[in-house]
Amino acid sequence: MSEYTFNDPWWLIILKVLAIFVGLVLMTLFTIWWERRVVSRMQNRIGPNRVGPFGLLQSLMDGFKLGLKEEIIPKTAHLAVYWIAPVISATMAFLAFAVIPFGPMVSIFGVETPLQLTDFPVSVLYVLAIASIGVYGIVLAGWSSGSTYPLLGGLRSSAQMISYELAMSMSFVAVFLYAGTMSTSGIVAAQEPIWYAVILLPSLLIYATAMVGETNRAPFDLPEAEGELVGGFHTEYSSLKFALFFLAEYINMVTVSALATTLFLGGWIAPWPLSLWDGANVGWWPLLWWFVKVQLFIFAFIWLRGTLPRLRYDQFMRFGWKVLIPASLLWIVIVAAARVVRNEFSVTTQELLLLGGGLLVVIIVGSWVLQVRSERRERAQVEAAKAEMDKPFDPYAGGYPVPPLPGQEFTYTSRRAKAAVVEGTATRTATAVLPGESADAPVPSTSDPEEGTHA
Amino acid sequence: MTSTDPSAAEAVVFWVCAFLSVVGGIGLILSRRAVHSALWVALTMISLAVLYIANAAPFLGMVQIIVYTGAVMMLFLFVLMVVGVDSSDSLVETLRGQRVAGILLAVGFGLLLAIGLGSALNGVPVVGLDGANGEYGGNVEGLARLLFSEYVLAFEIVAGLLVVAALGALVLAHRERWQPRRTQREISQERTRGGIHPAPLPPPGVYARHNAVDTPALLPDGSVADISVPGPLRARGDLRPVDTAAVAETAALTSGEATYGPAKRPVADDPGTSPGEPS
Amino acid sequence: MDAYAPILVLGLLAAGFAVFSVTLTTFTGPKRYNRAKVDAYECGIEPTPQPMGGGRFPVKYYLTAMMFIIFDIEIVFLYPWAVAFDQLPLFVFLAMMLFLFNLTVPYVYEWRRGGLDWD
Repeated sequence: MSEYTFNDPWWLIILKVLAIFVGLVLMTLFTIWWERRVVSRMQNRIGPNRVGPFGLLQSLMDGFKLGLKEEIIPKTAHLAVYWIAPVISATMAFLAFAVIPFGPMVSIFGVETPLQLTDFPVSVLYVLAIASIGVYGIVLAGWSSGSTYPLLGGLRSSAQMISYELAMSMSFVAVFLYAGTMSTSGIVAAQEPIWYAVILLPSLLIYATAMVGETNRAPFDLPEAEGELVGGFHTEYSSLKFALFFLAEYINMVTVSALATTLFLGGWIAPWPLSLWDGANVGWWPLLWWFVKVQLFIFAFIWLRGTLPRLRYDQFMRFGWKVLIPASLLWIVIVAAARVVRNEFSVTTQELLLLGGGLLVVIIVGSWVLQVRSERRERAQVEAAKAEMDKPFDPYAGGYPVPPLPGQEFTYTSRRAKAAVVEGTATRTATAVLPGESADAPVPSTSDPEEGTHA
Repeated sequence: MTSTDPSAAEAVVFWVCAFLSVVGGIGLILSRRAVHSALWVALTMISLAVLYIANAAPFLGMVQIIVYTGAVMMLFLFVLMVVGVDSSDSLVETLRGQRVAGILLAVGFGLLLAIGLGSALNGVPVVGLDGANGEYGGNVEGLARLLFSEYVLAFEIVAGLLVVAALGALVLAHRERWQPRRTQREISQERTRGGIHPAPLPPPGVYARHNAVDTPALLPDGSVADISVPGPLRARGDLRPVDTAAVAETAALTSGEATYGPAKRPVADDPGTSPGEPS
Repeated sequence: MDAYAPILVLGLLAAGFAVFSVTLTTFTGPKRYNRAKVDAYECGIEPTPQPMGGGRFPVKYYLTAMMFIIFDIEIVFLYPWAVAFDQLPLFVFLAMMLFLFNLTVPYVYEWRRGGLDWD
């Protein structure tokens, strides 16, 4: 554990804060442009190419344009909350970046300092905490607009974010197990020998899936399902307030990518062929490696958006709750068990891998068998349920008047037919009549059905 | 910020956060809207978290935010939105004298806390958490040591509590499904095989002269497509009759038997130019 | 505390920027209001009566939030366990497995009852 101690002079703190702030805003502007260009290429278009070289200034101009737009506040809005929601969203987006390590110790104006704003023993938890406050921005924006679509979008989006936050938090456990710390710089340092993307690949896959859900990006962009909810939680926001939500979304994208880089791709540590060069992991170069790795994740985000259609909400929630969460729990157990075996019994890594491989085969085969069996059983259940529903509705089942079961059609039967039915059942179930009741009173005779039903 | 005295900084943090958490508590009571109350509680929770962190318990502080602000208050917000609690609800007190009793109890509790804590802490040397945190290499490690040795039974009992909570929520909120769930495949099959129009219905025949939806569309053979008019209108008998003269005119125009322009103008007798073209 | 001071600075800067942008639009944008503009947006139709106050939402969200709390607390216990894993005896591993197993019971029950299905 080589966590740095942070005691920068105040001017350096301000410098770093400014660098992060400006860097994030620039990154947002760049990412918006980059996303539009890449998606355009994927769709055989050109994309923005007019404003500035290669259209690079397009998003900046869009920002200015948004600032000059009329601000429309619905008259049903709850003003205080309506104003505070974009502020929460944007502030929390910036704050989460405080603990991301960009590089090793460097010298800035003669002061030795790590390329990281700050770090403490629970900094990954800090990112989670900030993210959970960030959800407030969305749910409050939806609520305070006083409009139907935003409220639906806000609720949906927060339910989605909390569901995927679980899988995301669980994917961290294996990393903490290996790193033995929750500080971001400590985790990066622990990946000096080997990246966790290699040894904890399932964690990375779970995290990578969850981070798309967490940032409400395609194919998990259900809160902004235009066909259903118009713009989701920010439907009623316009002008710069809308721009703040937009900014927050893109910063969050950068943040989760940076966190993925920190936790799984070795942070600023140089990748293999470069790491052979001695100077790769010192000075300012690591900033470049870090940036490239983050851009890889951002490109994956864009690629996903250009490729996949949006999921249906029930599919999405099922995936989160029934696939990601059990998978990550299982993975935690496997990792911990392997660690215990290695710690307690002197087993070599090779033996452990063989053992794990064998177990994996057993688990896969076993789960396949279970899956086939449960599918068969489910089909049988559905068939049985269907057969039950296909039965014609018997209004006097068991001798008593009963309502139709769900799925059964209420069929009107004539009194004469009813009377016949009643008599038939009465004779069939004569033994079931309780002694206290008069068994013969209301049974109508076929010759005089009217009298029987009125009695 | 090496220059600042740590205890002075801590004092500032304490007074700011203590003030904010009390403001949050008062705001909770005084807010008219339930959602605003929930927000004030969130403020209190975050202030408390900052206090924990200032007192060298960073793990507790972060967990306070994640669990209370992020999860519990979010549940409250959901519930407030789900049940639609609002200021319009009746605020008449159902328990007689509960306000007086509440105030008395609150004052009593406050006194108890002040006296109890005051006498317990009086003369106790303040050592801070640094020693405890340093013993096993950090706050989290020390916490883990304690939690999984001395308090392991309590830890397991928490699992039981959570089981009860989960089952309780399920029992309260779950709606039993009586019919097997219809899959998307079944729904689409039903739609295509059931004789229902699978695609969107034809839009009403809105011409320049009638911009109303009760104007039926015409099929290619000139007959009226009833389904192009919304069902309720059809049920009321509000189908606009087709202007047969207009239809005939259109047909004449498209087939070339007539031309645009003043009705008096004779049909073009020059066979060399097609009727619609400007000459 | 030194480690947390930069967060305060960044937070102040970010919040200041956000508040500045939120208030800026009041001065920069045109203001040409009419009744239709300040109505809630519902694709051009008359807005439905407002959902809060009178509206009801699927109770499903409540169940989701409750399950979230439960798993969240589980994760909160998992974190110190994972961080201190190598310092802790084998017994603690078993204790955590028991804890996880206990929490799997309501999860499986909920799954079987259909509490995790969305309509």
